[in-house]
Amino acid sequence: MKNKRLLTIDDEESIQIVIKFGIHMVAGWEVLSASDGRMGIDTAKRELPDAILLDVMMPEMDGIATFKELQANHITAGIPVIFLTAKAQTAEKKQFNDLGVSGVITKPFNSLDLPERISKILNW
Amino acid sequence: MKILLIEDDDALIALLTRSLSSQHHIVDVVKDGEMGWTYASTFDYDTIVLDIMLPKLDGISLCKKLRGAGYTTPILLLTSQYNTTIKVQGLDAGADDYVVKPFDIAELTARVRALLRRGSTNPLPLLSWGDLMLNPISCEVNYNGQALTLTTKEYDLLELFLRDSYRVFSNDEIIDRLWSSDDFPAEATVRSHLRRLRHKLQSAGAPHDFIGTIHGRGYYLTSSQNSPQSLISSNDNSQPIHSHQQQTEYLAFLQETWVQTKPQCLEILSKIAAIVDQLLLETCTYPEQQQAHQKAHKLVGTLGVFSLTSAMNIARQMERLLNRSILLSPTESLTLQTYLSELFRDIEVNSPSQKIDSPHPGLSLLLLIDIDQNSIQSLTDIADNHGYRTISLSTIEAADRYLFSNSNPNLPALILVNLRESSSILGFLHNVHLRLYDQAILVLSDRDELIDRLAVVRHGGKFLCTANLTTEQIFTTAVSLIPLITTTPKVMVVDDDLDWLRTVPKLLQPWGLKITTLADPQQFWNVLQSVQPDALVLDIQMPEINGLELCQVLRSDPNWQRLPILFLSVSKDSISQQEAFNVGADDYLCKPMMGGELAQRIRHRLARLQFS
Repeated sequence: MKNKRLLTIDDEESIQIVIKFGIHMVAGWEVLSASDGRMGIDTAKRELPDAILLDVMMPEMDGIATFKELQANHITAGIPVIFLTAKAQTAEKKQFNDLGVSGVITKPFNSLDLPERISKILNW
Repeated sequence: MKILLIEDDDALIALLTRSLSSQHHIVDVVKDGEMGWTYASTFDYDTIVLDIMLPKLDGISLCKKLRGAGYTTPILLLTSQYNTTIKVQGLDAGADDYVVKPFDIAELTARVRALLRRGSTNPLPLLSWGDLMLNPISCEVNYNGQALTLTTKEYDLLELFLRDSYRVFSNDEIIDRLWSSDDFPAEATVRSHLRRLRHKLQSAGAPHDFIGTIHGRGYYLTSSQNSPQSLISSNDNSQPIHSHQQQTEYLAFLQETWVQTKPQCLEILSKIAAIVDQLLLETCTYPEQQQAHQKAHKLVGTLGVFSLTSAMNIARQMERLLNRSILLSPTESLTLQTYLSELFRDIEVNSPSQKIDSPHPGLSLLLLIDIDQNSIQSLTDIADNHGYRTISLSTIEAADRYLFSNSNPNLPALILVNLRESSSILGFLHNVHLRLYDQAILVLSDRDELIDRLAVVRHGGKFLCTANLTTEQIFTTAVSLIPLITTTPKVMVVDDDLDWLRTVPKLLQPWGLKITTLADPQQFWNVLQSVQPDALVLDIQMPEINGLELCQVLRSDPNWQRLPILFLSVSKDSISQQEAFNVGADDYLCKPMMGGELAQRIRHRLARLQFS
């Protein structure tokens, strides 16, 4: 696997830590973190990661609002976004799909699997 | 398929519900536009049948609102005005089709079928997969020409798979799609419907894996031409294999991180508990209930990522119950309270400990021996609801083989056995007690005789008379015996033999022990204080500080006087043994030693401590 840089946006620090550890251990990718949507958008603009893992349910600015803002900005519009969610009902998945997200990964996941799953979703 | 009917005319509701149900559709009914919005935006439907004239919010506005919010569920409008403007308005608002009242019921159901086909990967009116054919119009199913007689739920399951034939459906999704939003069936219920469906398919000549399982992910249609590799959903890829070392390191990391995360989870849980208290007092508002739902939802994700599966399952039940469009009643809130206390307990006692790739991660095991068929099913269902899994064996001999001939059995948290033939049972109890020490074992009997009670207790078991008890009560009593033994005892191993230290966690973890290893005796005190082990395994010969000295240090400290200490050494001579016991050892073992035996000796010391 080629070296990649990811950005995770999740308000739960422990999940960020676990994701970062798993991905780094298996694939050696660099993982940047942001703990809310606003900070995530700023980091994305500044760092231009190869992909963004975005938690759907966050306080204040949720994943969908964050995604829409990322899409609306020409700097970040091209970065593929994968949603992380605890339980995606079919309607939600359809909704995500219609929004134009690249994929959805449902919690629980084993972080060791993430590089492979992300690569498959994004055809890396 | 699941349909939302939004209609205020009771006569029409009755007629439509009857005819749609007869076509194997699950129908939720609401009577005004606002409720329609709540249901359609909360639950997952395959089609919405929507009247135009509705109280509170009319059908066309609702249609616009749904489409505006990104919902793509097919909508069929019912209109009594045969006028082009209304039809155009409806279609422009995002409806997919319309029917004019009074309508022919056959036409309406046909239009519903057509809409369902649009959302399906299978656009033909007849659904098929290999030799299987399902006709949604006549509701007939046959395999290779042979008719199948299916129950409603079996038919629904099959139709669901056939309509989206390349998808893997998780238990949750199946529940969302095939049960009405008022039902909360257990996952075991889905499994038992599937089991019967598979059985019927197989009897008709289908391969045994016609419906395949991906453990932990869900179910899908298999076929030689359509191998699972071609599955398209991002969640369906089979799990990559990681090295044992990676898994172990990852697990250790999860455990470490969990120590900091656990208090946060408990805090979230307390916040949910406060809202549940208000629900019970009927002083809670709907937004507060929604807040509790969001918190529960978050918790499901966190617990899952830390592979605390039983806790995650309880949190998920809680989340599902909180995800209502109306305020929960005090009775429903009581159920929430039960979930909460289970969750507090579960989070308190468990830590990420199971192998990540285990097919049933984290679930405590109940071993059922010689229990009658009906009880097995209901016990399994209840156990499943409470985050336990079960293995059922029909005879004592089979149980003997499972526990003692198997080199690495998955040891149960509890054994439940029926008292039929007392002689063989007592022999078995004796054997279990002798070889597995503190294994909890509950003997069930419908007779209530002192002599039976005595015999069981004398052989190390517990006795429960099941006459007049419900399965739920039996289960509750049974699991009340578990807490003492499901906590994973922490064992610290100090040894300068690095090869041994590398293997010892692997040897002991399957036996439910959490291992910390230490090679440098200089670090002993720091590590001991931070790990706070329940038992210690010491080597005697180590550089600079030997094991005997460490033992003396511990025995002179009031906090550690009672810590079980086992020596493990290559020296077999009686002088070393004598020395060890003199300085306060509880046991002395010689290398090489098998994992199982070492684990049993450790557990034996722990059990002694518990009863002393």
